[in-house]
Amino acid sequence: MSNNHHMTAPVAEVSLPHVNLDDLIVCLKYYVDEEVAHIRIKDQAICTTCDPKPCLAFCPAHVFETDRQGRVMVSYQACVECGSCRIACPFRNVDWRLPRGGYGVAYKYG
Amino acid sequence: MGRLTFDAIVVGAGPAGVAAALTMARGGLKVIIIERGRFAGAKNLFGGVFYTHALADVLPDYWERKPPFERPVTEQGYWMLSPDSVIRVMHKSERYRKEPADAYTVLRARFDPWFAEQAVKAGALLITRTTVTRLLKDERERVIGVDTDRPEGSVYAPVVIIAEGVNNLLTRQAGLIASDLPPTHVALAVKEYINLPAKELQARFGLSGPHEGVAIDVFGDVTLGLPGTGFIYTDQSGISIGVGMLLDEFITHRLRPYQVLERFKNHPVIRPYLEGGEVREYGAHLIPEMGYDRMPKLAGDGVMVAGDAAGMVDALHREGTNLAITAGRAAGETTLAAHQQGDFSAAFLNRYRRTLEDSFVLKDMKQYRRMTDFLESSPQFMGTYVNLLNEAALRYFTAHGIPKREMEHDILKMVRERRSFTGVAWDMLKLMRAMRG
Repeated sequence: MSNNHHMTAPVAEVSLPHVNLDDLIVCLKYYVDEEVAHIRIKDQAICTTCDPKPCLAFCPAHVFETDRQGRVMVSYQACVECGSCRIACPFRNVDWRLPRGGYGVAYKYG
Repeated sequence: MGRLTFDAIVVGAGPAGVAAALTMARGGLKVIIIERGRFAGAKNLFGGVFYTHALADVLPDYWERKPPFERPVTEQGYWMLSPDSVIRVMHKSERYRKEPADAYTVLRARFDPWFAEQAVKAGALLITRTTVTRLLKDERERVIGVDTDRPEGSVYAPVVIIAEGVNNLLTRQAGLIASDLPPTHVALAVKEYINLPAKELQARFGLSGPHEGVAIDVFGDVTLGLPGTGFIYTDQSGISIGVGMLLDEFITHRLRPYQVLERFKNHPVIRPYLEGGEVREYGAHLIPEMGYDRMPKLAGDGVMVAGDAAGMVDALHREGTNLAITAGRAAGETTLAAHQQGDFSAAFLNRYRRTLEDSFVLKDMKQYRRMTDFLESSPQFMGTYVNLLNEAALRYFTAHGIPKREMEHDILKMVRERRSFTGVAWDMLKLMRAMRG
C-alpha cells in the first residue's frame, strides 16, 4: 500500500529563500568555552567518504562545514545544543557532549 | 570531608524537574536541582503554549505568585496553507476569557526562572552552571548519586530524578532506554521570536487588548507538504513563529531548517502579520515523538525519569510541559513515599509509572501511540489534502458562469486524480485508527 507517489509539490522543485544565518545567530547570547569543544568529529576519514553529508544541511546553526580536502569542520561556538547531529549523523561519527556548566547558548526569550 | 548528601537529586530545572523538586521540598525533603544553564530556562525553547491545569495541581496559588505569562489563548485553531492560499479554521470563545485562563503563551527563558524560584522558595537548592556528567551507581547497579563537572562535584542521594530533556544521555546511562532516538522519532523545530509593539500586534490579529491572544497551528505548504507543522503564537509584544518536522525529513530532503522557516515567513498569507517586526531571537530544539511504545522504562533502582527525557509529548495537541509537570509531581510524590518506607528499589519506584497510567499523561500517550507512524506513512495528509481543500474552496467561492453541478463534478474529479477514492477511504480509516488508539 504505497501511497507516497501521490504527494503534490515535489520537495525537490521547491526553491527555498537564501538566509544569512549570521543575521540570526547574532541575536543569540553565547558563553563560548574557549578551552573545550563540546562537539568533535570522531574520525575525519569517515566524513571524507560520507557522500550526502546531511549534517551540512540539517544543522539549524550550520555548525558543520567542509574544507577543500572534504573534511568536516566544526564551529561548535554557534551550536544551540539541539542534539540533531548526535542522532542524525549516518555514521554516528559526531562526539556530542553537553557543554561545561554555564557555557554555550543562553536564550533570552526561548 | 563528608560526602555531599541529599534526600533527592533532580537533574534539570525545566518543568518536570522543578515540579518534582517543588513537590519534594514541600514534603520536607532535602532536595538539590542541578542545572547546566546559567539560569533555569537558559537552554529551553518551545513553541509555546503552556497549559495551566498541571501547574495548578503542583502550585495551587500560582496566580498570586504572578507567573510571567505572555497572553492568554482566547482564540486558537488551524491554518491550512497551500502555496498561494489558506483555509482558516479558528475557534474563538468568550469562555476562553477567564482568569487564570486554561492556556497562555509563554517564553521559556522568562517562565522557567520564575517556576524554579517557586521551588527555591519551598526550600529546594538550585545549583546552576553545573553539568551532570554521569550517574553514580553502587556495586549492585543501583543509582546512588551523580557526578558533575565541578571540582569534587559528586553528589549523593537515594533517589535521582532525571529531567534532562530530549538529549537523554543519563537516561541511557541508567539503562532505562536501550538505544538513542532515531531521526524518524524526533522532530526538529526552529523558531524566531519577532518583536512587534503590542498595539500593532493586537490590530493585526484582531485582539482587543493584552488579555487576548491567538495560537495558530499551520499545516501544508509551511512544511513543503511534508509531515510536520508550523505555528504562530502571539506573545505580549511579539510573535513566536516556527516550523517543526521529523528530523528524518530534513535529512532525506536535504533541507536547511532556517530556510524552511524563512519560506514560511515569506508566504503571501503570513508576511503581512510580520511586516516591520524585528527578529530578536532564533533558536532550535528537538521534540521527542517516539510515542508510547518506545518510551523508556520510567523507574529503576534509585532513579526515575520525567518529561522530554521520557518522551512525554502529545504532538497532536502540542502538549508537553503539562505532561512534564504532572510527571514531575508524580515522581516527587513517589520519592516522598519511598523515603517513608525506606525503599528505593525499582519495584517501589514503579509506583510512579502506575500513577501516570491512571492520569492523562500515559492515557493520552497510549491513545495516540500510532500518530508518528501514521504521519510518516501518510504524507499526503499534509500536502495533497491541504492543497485539494484550498482548490476546492477557490472553485466553490468563485462565480465564473459555470453551472454549479459542473463545479461539483470538477472538485470530485480533482480528488480522484490526486488521490483515488479508495485512497481517501484508506487514509480516513488509518487516521481514525491513529486517533482512537
